[in-house]
Amino acid sequence: MKLNIDGLLVYFPYDYIYPEQYSYMLELKRTLDAKGHGVLEMPSGTGKTISLLSLIVAYQRAFPLEVTKLIYCSRTVPEIEKVVEELRKLMEFYAKETEEVNNFLALALSSRKNLCIHPEVSSLRFGKEVDGKCHSLTASYVRAQRHGNPNQPVCRFYEEFDAVGRQVPLPAGVYNLDDLKDLGRRKGWCPYYLARYSILHANIVVYSYHYLLDPKIADLVSKELAKKSVVVFDEAHNIDNVCIDSMSVNITRRTLDRCQNNVDTLQNTIQRIKETDAAKLREEYRRLVEGLKEANVARETDVYLANPVLPDEILKEAVPGSIRTAEHFVGFLRRFLEYLKSRLRVQHVVQESAPQFLKDIFDKVCIDRKPLRFCAERLQSLLRTLEITDISDFSAVTLISNFATLVSTYSQGFTIIIEPFEDRTPTIANPVLHFSCMDPSIAIKPVFQRFQSVIITSGTLSPVDIYPRILDFRPVTMASFTMTLARTCLCPLIVGRGNDQVALSSKFETREDFAVIRNYGNLLLEMSAVVPDGIVAFFTSYVYMENIVASWYEQGILENIQRNKLIFIETQDAAETSMALEKYQEACENGRGAILLSVARGKVSEGIDFVHHFGRAVIMFGVPYVYTQSRILKARLEYLRDQFQIRENDFLTFDAMRHAAQCVGRAIRGKTDYGLMIFADKRYARADKRGKLPRWIQEHINDGSLNLTVDEAVQLSKHFLRQMAQPFSQVDQLGLSLLTLEQLESPEMLKKIAQIAHQT
Amino acid sequence: MDDQGCPRCKTTKYRNPSLKLMVNVCGHTLCENCVEMLFARGSGNCLQCDTPLRKSNFRVQLFEDAAIDKEVEIRKKVMKIYNKREFDFPSLREYNDYLEQVEDIVYNLTNNTDVENTKLRMEHYQKENRDIIQRNKAKLTREQEELEELLLLEQQSSEQRRLEVLQEEQRQLQAKRKSKQALLDELEKSQVPAKLLLAQHKVRAAQLETEIEQQKQNVKPTSIFSTGIQIRQNVCLQPLPRIEEVLYQYKPIRVETYGPPVPELEQLGRFGYLNHVRATTLQEAAGGYTSALACHRAIQDAFSGLFPSKG
Repeated sequence: MKLNIDGLLVYFPYDYIYPEQYSYMLELKRTLDAKGHGVLEMPSGTGKTISLLSLIVAYQRAFPLEVTKLIYCSRTVPEIEKVVEELRKLMEFYAKETEEVNNFLALALSSRKNLCIHPEVSSLRFGKEVDGKCHSLTASYVRAQRHGNPNQPVCRFYEEFDAVGRQVPLPAGVYNLDDLKDLGRRKGWCPYYLARYSILHANIVVYSYHYLLDPKIADLVSKELAKKSVVVFDEAHNIDNVCIDSMSVNITRRTLDRCQNNVDTLQNTIQRIKETDAAKLREEYRRLVEGLKEANVARETDVYLANPVLPDEILKEAVPGSIRTAEHFVGFLRRFLEYLKSRLRVQHVVQESAPQFLKDIFDKVCIDRKPLRFCAERLQSLLRTLEITDISDFSAVTLISNFATLVSTYSQGFTIIIEPFEDRTPTIANPVLHFSCMDPSIAIKPVFQRFQSVIITSGTLSPVDIYPRILDFRPVTMASFTMTLARTCLCPLIVGRGNDQVALSSKFETREDFAVIRNYGNLLLEMSAVVPDGIVAFFTSYVYMENIVASWYEQGILENIQRNKLIFIETQDAAETSMALEKYQEACENGRGAILLSVARGKVSEGIDFVHHFGRAVIMFGVPYVYTQSRILKARLEYLRDQFQIRENDFLTFDAMRHAAQCVGRAIRGKTDYGLMIFADKRYARADKRGKLPRWIQEHINDGSLNLTVDEAVQLSKHFLRQMAQPFSQVDQLGLSLLTLEQLESPEMLKKIAQIAHQT
Repeated sequence: MDDQGCPRCKTTKYRNPSLKLMVNVCGHTLCENCVEMLFARGSGNCLQCDTPLRKSNFRVQLFEDAAIDKEVEIRKKVMKIYNKREFDFPSLREYNDYLEQVEDIVYNLTNNTDVENTKLRMEHYQKENRDIIQRNKAKLTREQEELEELLLLEQQSSEQRRLEVLQEEQRQLQAKRKSKQALLDELEKSQVPAKLLLAQHKVRAAQLETEIEQQKQNVKPTSIFSTGIQIRQNVCLQPLPRIEEVLYQYKPIRVETYGPPVPELEQLGRFGYLNHVRATTLQEAAGGYTSALACHRAIQDAFSGLFPSKG
């Protein structure tokens, strides 16, 4: 259908539209008009992706000079594929309606592992190996050597692409990863480099977060993207953790040992090259004396995304004299390495700030701040000069040099924690140096600064106002949308007591309490008798789950449950878990019914959808707080309090509730779906916890479902499930939660729609 | 570090956890006991390289690689002499060259290449730059200063936070004590039954408790983003008004001169107007000037208003 959104003609590839989709598009349009950033929360299963795509594409067509590119960031490869499929549908609709040739180019980009078509390289299992092997075949000096030595192996796909691929732009169309590979095979071009090259002129790019947020990758892939782009972060409820992870460094004894090997190799290679080809080193030396001018010019013309690892001032200055020659630099690395080794030899936990670390390193091994700052850049230059083909071997020394650059660049927002052993195993020495970023805004700042509009969206972003605070940006729209429903298809229940009135809680004091565990078991048992097909149960941690399951086994509860349903358990092993999932789905499919025991923050809670009969009920045992004793978390909380005035408790609750919401949200993936959401902890009944759930869940929690016993919960679920089991067709939804174009344009509906968006 | 041991007596850290390894200027290791034994007289030669050593120069080995210990030792010595700062040089380039030179000296000394010459060079430099060295001795480098400042700031802020917490606790303690005292006073003087008073006190105590709790939770909220924009400032969300106007189109101007038509710029040369005008010099031509320009203007002036119309 064709919609009129605030004066903009939007093609929407379906015959019906949800009212909240219309409202979502309205808000989005306002954000784009104001050229600002936005935070939008809309429940999963209400068609976020297609709303985003159709509006932004329409906007691009209407104002081709205002918005030149859409960068759509998603988390996993399957999600990326889903987005591309939606996009394809949209483009087909455009082609049908307008009957003109579309010149839109949309493509997905992923790692070499997913895109490589070289028969040898693509058969490697790990991403790092693929990257390393690819580099050894395509690096510029390898290809240069081929001129002298035709036996030097190179990648024929890359050669072919380099020879002709760059002149011919990719024909317009929608390409997912397989399409790119097909095209690559047909033409004999490398799909990965083709995609990387094509994103520069593509209208829509779909890729993973890391291509924009991880400074090491962003620098390679995304730095030349146009300023007038719209960036969308989908499923962004965890974006702060992604930012933090991309800037943090963990160094173990093993890293240092591998680094030592790297440095030795470097030294040997330098020695060798000096004897055979000293001119190369002299050339590098000359360039360093001149300064890194080339990079500087490029940044001045503002074609580059600023790199938080490499601050501007470095580009303006030449490498300090003390690490200019290769030998001196290796000596420098050695000293730094030995210093780190000596630091890892501590007996007790050390926490210090970056300036303290810098002072100490100067006192101990006479390393100044300035050469440290240039360390990463200098190492890259050296690796290039030495023509080291397999860079994947040098990950350790690259890590160390990145650490050196970061620690000397940022005096705030980072902390260094050295732990001689893990908390759980205090007798086994396993020293780790955590260089942990506490401020997610450092990694994401260049994105906000560079791009005209950044949209952060997810099914669970509540409370919406905390994201601008922790990411330190100023959105023009912050809105949370509810789900309009023809029937109440979700039923959140807060179970606070067992049948014997024992308070249910996973808090530390009652963790080991027999009565609580028994009552949790009872809850699951009784639910397994009423709920049809699949039930998913989430625990707060693996340890807690193991304890409880062991105790249920002793009490005979497991046996009773197994009369009703089969039980599957998520473990830390990915292969085991995917096996369990497969069998779980099989059991749901053939009517036997199954229970999946899994862990909040685990793989299941983040990426797996339990549509329809795969998840008729989700039970959340306890509140999934993070492990609060970890020093990194403590440091981060302190930083949040000092810098952003966010209270520890607020943040912890916020974090726990967003994970709880993620878990229970797994069951409802659309309007025809239905499911129970059982929060089994009395703390959920408190206003501060409840208030942090997404609005679309909160709406359905009434006072009657606040502090239930197990029995009451079972009664309510029986009632709910009987209601839901009645036949339900699309006709029932029409006009209420599903609209045709005429219905949409009626004035009373427009008025209703205006209320859906909840501005904060 | 467990597998490291003394090369002479072969004791390892594993067998003797209290083993102390020492290192001297030559960078070769010995354990503490062996040092005591071999250097009982205060001096002797290194077992491995025969360098004459003094016992007093033995240091505890800090790093796994003894060569680093040696290098750091040398580096510290060299730095005492080569202590010029960035502002002692006219340009960054020269400073960097200087740094590299220092690095060279350290490298030579640690790797025992060309030691004699290097030492000579150092002595020479020391003699030449005696006063600069003296002057710079007390000064820290600029970066060092920055670091010190940051550390100081950090200390101050943590100290301040500690004090605040302390004060807060003290205040709360006092408030509690006061309320207890008040209860005792009241029990002593008042005529109301003690039960009632106790109940009242309980309520008051609970109130106090919640107040304290609240205060603890209360952190002053920020009102400003790091970008300098107020947090709850209302920003207009309306789209910017789009101004629709007709595009400007260039039309060549027509001047009514009331006379014969003025010859065009290109025609001037052909009609011979330029014959009596000064030719363009080379410098003027570089700026885009041609003699026709001036001539054309003069002719335009001359032609305009030649035959003004009457009325």
